[in-house]
Amino acid sequence: MRLINNSKKVNKKDIGKLLSQWSEEFVVFVPSKENGVVMMAKWDGTDTSFVDWYRNTVIPPKAHFLPPMEEMFRFQKDKGSYQLEQPASDGQKQLIFAIRPCDANALAILDKVFEDAYEDPYYLSRRKNRLLVGLGCTNPYDSCFCTSLGSSPSDAANVDLMLTDIGDEFLIEGVTDAGKQLIAQTSGLEEATEADDSRAKEVREASYHKVTRRIDTKDINSKLLSCFEDEDYWEKVAAKCISCGICTLLCPTCYCFDISDELVKQQGTRFRCWDSCAFPIYTKMPMENPREEKWRRVRQKVCHKYEFYLMNFGVIACTGCGRCIRLCPVNWDITQTLNSLPAKT
Amino acid sequence: MEQKLRREAKALLEQGQVDYIVGFEPGSLKFTTTPLITRDKEEVDRLVINPFIVNNLANFLTELKGRVGIIAKGCDSRSIVSLIQDNKVAREDVVILGIPCPGIIDLSKVEELIGKDRDELEAISREGDKVVITADGKTSEFSITEVLFDNCLGCELPTPQEYDILLGEPTLPVTDRSASQAKIEQLKGMPPQPRWEFWSNELSRCIRCYACRNVCPACFCQRCFVEETEPQWLMPVPRWQDNLMFQVIRNIHVAGRCTDCGECERACPVNIPLRSLTKEMYDIVGELFHFKAGMDKDTAPLMTHYEQEEAEDFIR
Repeated sequence: MRLINNSKKVNKKDIGKLLSQWSEEFVVFVPSKENGVVMMAKWDGTDTSFVDWYRNTVIPPKAHFLPPMEEMFRFQKDKGSYQLEQPASDGQKQLIFAIRPCDANALAILDKVFEDAYEDPYYLSRRKNRLLVGLGCTNPYDSCFCTSLGSSPSDAANVDLMLTDIGDEFLIEGVTDAGKQLIAQTSGLEEATEADDSRAKEVREASYHKVTRRIDTKDINSKLLSCFEDEDYWEKVAAKCISCGICTLLCPTCYCFDISDELVKQQGTRFRCWDSCAFPIYTKMPMENPREEKWRRVRQKVCHKYEFYLMNFGVIACTGCGRCIRLCPVNWDITQTLNSLPAKT
Repeated sequence: MEQKLRREAKALLEQGQVDYIVGFEPGSLKFTTTPLITRDKEEVDRLVINPFIVNNLANFLTELKGRVGIIAKGCDSRSIVSLIQDNKVAREDVVILGIPCPGIIDLSKVEELIGKDRDELEAISREGDKVVITADGKTSEFSITEVLFDNCLGCELPTPQEYDILLGEPTLPVTDRSASQAKIEQLKGMPPQPRWEFWSNELSRCIRCYACRNVCPACFCQRCFVEETEPQWLMPVPRWQDNLMFQVIRNIHVAGRCTDCGECERACPVNIPLRSLTKEMYDIVGELFHFKAGMDKDTAPLMTHYEQEEAEDFIR
């Protein structure tokens, strides 16, 4: 039987052994539940039950690169000046297991800001020593719409190695050199057969068609541009938004952060933490607030993702993960907004 | 009931009695509804009433300009009354379309019972005291008390007391007081140290999205204390200690205004059991002041009101 170049497979029962092996080199993160909230958490060395229940995380894996809060540096008041103390570099080698294609694609989108627009040492140091093991989706949510954004539930474009659920086993394929190298040094993997490969193809095909939510991204930036001034439209779509930060903070491509200093006695810490354009205070300035009204903030969120980011970086800042729809307390659905943009007036 | 609601809502808009109708329409995901805020009399045909009308729409009253026709369940009507007591809303500016509410279905409980996510279920239907759930072509039946929200199981006012139009006959609450209080009693039974650890752990997940505050009609401040920088009461950094302080202060601020509608806990994307704090405060308010929020629009609000006969000296 002919072997597929480079692809291997592992029985789902042996995932624990595989993760144990990888734990020797990496701190391994796997999907975990904490009071029902799914997030990537440090593997406890035994539990692999996520294989049965995992669909996607609530907290996007961007949290491993741009954490909800981090210390940028500490400072100490020393007579008239300040002594700065850099934080210990985050040199930990992590392996994020079972990241979904949408979330891996989101990191490539974040790279445009943190690597191309300027070099963010905090983000980049983590990006350099985190290995991404992707897992294709076989059961996407009804809120998922990745296929409208040039991707798919089995997209391996931005992972180091890719797993496909082929029943009792995962097919494993190396994508980047780092991924291929990891496969080469991993023992106990079986060679995949041609039958495994064709099974994987069927699974990918079937998953693709399970994503039914659609948006039309053709000319989306010019459509948004032409209705930018349509205040009535934006007021209408924004009416039920409650201006909380769920859709932005938990978006895998939203990257806004807020910087604040804390000074206790003479010891200071500079923090940065997630921020959201949905908050009225986000654009508050001494004299005015250009986005005081809710509709302006909702418009900003939509246009930033589908118009401005596309203009600045050549990609849409959305991967169709659907978190903003699933988690919204009022079911504000960006796909409905994008699908109902008024024609040029 | 739905037909009557649509007729009434349409008439209110047509006769110019209200500028807006605020109600529920079908949501974009299975078993969801979404707020419908409209001035368009054709759109009111989309209004629905079903066991999934989760939101407390009173939340929108403080931001809408003009007269509003609003659909209100029992707890929502109490929030409206509370806003009237606080002078945030004028009674004559709202037309309350009251719904006798037999309880709202908590999809998280359904997911737990069936072992599937909401989008994997085929049907959920309420039949009297039972709920029938269909998944993978198989139906299963449960007592309605197993799937209603905890706060619904402790509901004291399912039928609005303050209304202009009542849609349907007054209903009795479906109560299961012990299920409603289970989480809270469990916490109260814990020694201080484990309880402290419980909350530090739960609050570590908080990402400061402020959904708990923003879905809450009682949180009507124009500017929240967390946003103040001079002085800075609280760091915007989501450390559990700061998150705890945020919840403690928020709780004190909504004491006497919270109607136990449960929205804060439902909205939380990281499942922090916030109702265990708000309901305990609700009960403390009841015990200490014999006060229940939003029961009587002509009563002065609890915390902004002073009487000559105050028991404590400090306030004089």
